[in-house]
Amino acid sequence: MSEILRITGLTKKYGTLFAINDLSLNIEKGNVFGILGPNGSGKTTTLSIVTGIIHPTRGSFQWFGENPRPSSYQRIGSLIETPHFYPYLSLYQNLQLVSKIKGIPLKEINHVLGITNLLARKHSPFITLSLGMKQRLGIAAAMLGSPEVLVLDEPTNGLDPEGFAEVRELILQEASAGKTIILASHILDEVEKVCSHVAILKKGKILTSGKVHELLLKDDLVRITTIKSDELYEALIRGGWTKTIEKEKNEIRLTLSSDKSPGDLNEFAFKNGFVLDKIEVLKQSLESQFLEIIK
Amino acid sequence: MKKLLQIELIKTLNNSTFKVILVLHFILFLLLVYVSTRIDLSVPGFSTQKMFMFPNVWPLFTWYASWFNLLFLGIIIIILTGNEFSFKTSRLMITNGLSRNEFLLGKGILILLISAWGLLLVFLAGSVTGFIFTEDFSLIKFFENTSILLVYFVQAIAYMCLALLFSTIIKSNALSIMMYLLYFIMIEPIFRLFLPKLVRPYFPVKVISGLTPVPEFLSLASDKSFISTNGQSQLDLESIGILPKAIPLNTSLILTLIYISLFVIASWYIVKKKDL
Repeated sequence: MSEILRITGLTKKYGTLFAINDLSLNIEKGNVFGILGPNGSGKTTTLSIVTGIIHPTRGSFQWFGENPRPSSYQRIGSLIETPHFYPYLSLYQNLQLVSKIKGIPLKEINHVLGITNLLARKHSPFITLSLGMKQRLGIAAAMLGSPEVLVLDEPTNGLDPEGFAEVRELILQEASAGKTIILASHILDEVEKVCSHVAILKKGKILTSGKVHELLLKDDLVRITTIKSDELYEALIRGGWTKTIEKEKNEIRLTLSSDKSPGDLNEFAFKNGFVLDKIEVLKQSLESQFLEIIK
Repeated sequence: MKKLLQIELIKTLNNSTFKVILVLHFILFLLLVYVSTRIDLSVPGFSTQKMFMFPNVWPLFTWYASWFNLLFLGIIIIILTGNEFSFKTSRLMITNGLSRNEFLLGKGILILLISAWGLLLVFLAGSVTGFIFTEDFSLIKFFENTSILLVYFVQAIAYMCLALLFSTIIKSNALSIMMYLLYFIMIEPIFRLFLPKLVRPYFPVKVISGLTPVPEFLSLASDKSFISTNGQSQLDLESIGILPKAIPLNTSLILTLIYISLFVIASWYIVKKKDL
């Protein structure tokens, strides 16, 4: 795994306020890295610094293992905050500018306008677009020339539910093509569905970071229904299978110990003569965990 | 370089504000030229028509055009550069891999192009008017004093570089334009008054606007030629006290080039340090 982005001790102060404070992160090739945090937690500031538009007060960052140069940014597609385009230029002309800077053939423009459903508005001035369309053009510009790295700051901002799903699908496609994606979001659901890694930010500091399924999803809730629920309930407690367990009529609700999987549980029940009518794994609500973490 | 030129052309040629200002500049300049040539005041020995003959037409028209440099060309640069910061389109440039130096260089290319356009306009207007009014045309007369066109070109660059500096310092376009104009007509002139006479002529506005001084209408309109071969007027209006004492043209040119460098370096430093 090669390192794409390394952030070391990054700090940005506005007056006496720390927008971000001593932030460090490593993002490796192929990661879909979510930066999750409530509004004002420093997500946009962090991404603005690593894309070169604002200067850090302290600290440094490296792209592709070297100090950032303008040419590093030609390998990155980014959408920071809201999309900023020339209002009087058409979508095509705006993307033409991006192509010229990055040295991308102009024929790629139609491709990205196509995948973001903007082809019909190709020659409209940017200013005539709706909010959702502007956002989609931002995504189109970021994806132009199929860069190795995508930096997306709240890409689904202002999109309708359909647009939401489309953008998510696009991100997943890019990720499966081996692209590195850095995604800032305040929407847990989004991070959970698309990211492999996550860092949770609060007031400019990283509270925790790691793989999404380890960090946020470790305690899945398992629901079992069986006729002999009392006996199974006892057996599970005695066998040390659970972290938490409760029983209501024929249904047992539990969270498994970290070394056990729902499959193990099924096998154990079967071998001990319990027939399970139902076994169901419920992903624990991220919402509650997230709120817990940022409290 | 070619890349930067293409980018700037896409951005400016499609900008309607830019087009309107350039068209206004074109129309108003030609209108001023036309109207002034219609004025026909003659007393024995003097005729306004003489002002439009070669080589007198050059200092006259460059003086006209210098007002347009200040008003139109400087303001175009403030609008084009200021918009990059206020619409945050500078972000589009930087995040896609243009360096801040290249970004500024693009504006430099634009300044050169616009100056060249201004130069072309003065040259064409001067040539046509000169041909119409000059009775005994000769190439020597045509080329006499044309060096002032080059001076005009440098002046246009200087005005626009100062405008560039204002647009990088001040966030709001309206305020930049106001401060830029106020600096010319009030701030520097008033500031100069508080300083000793010796240093007054060396301030940027004084030096830059002095490149195309108010023509000596008396000598231009006179039958006799008061302009000697070295370009200096023999009718010394300065010593009579009609015109203020000016610094020599060569010194002004060198000082202007120094001021241009200072404006560019200051803009470069500000853009380098700026959070976009």
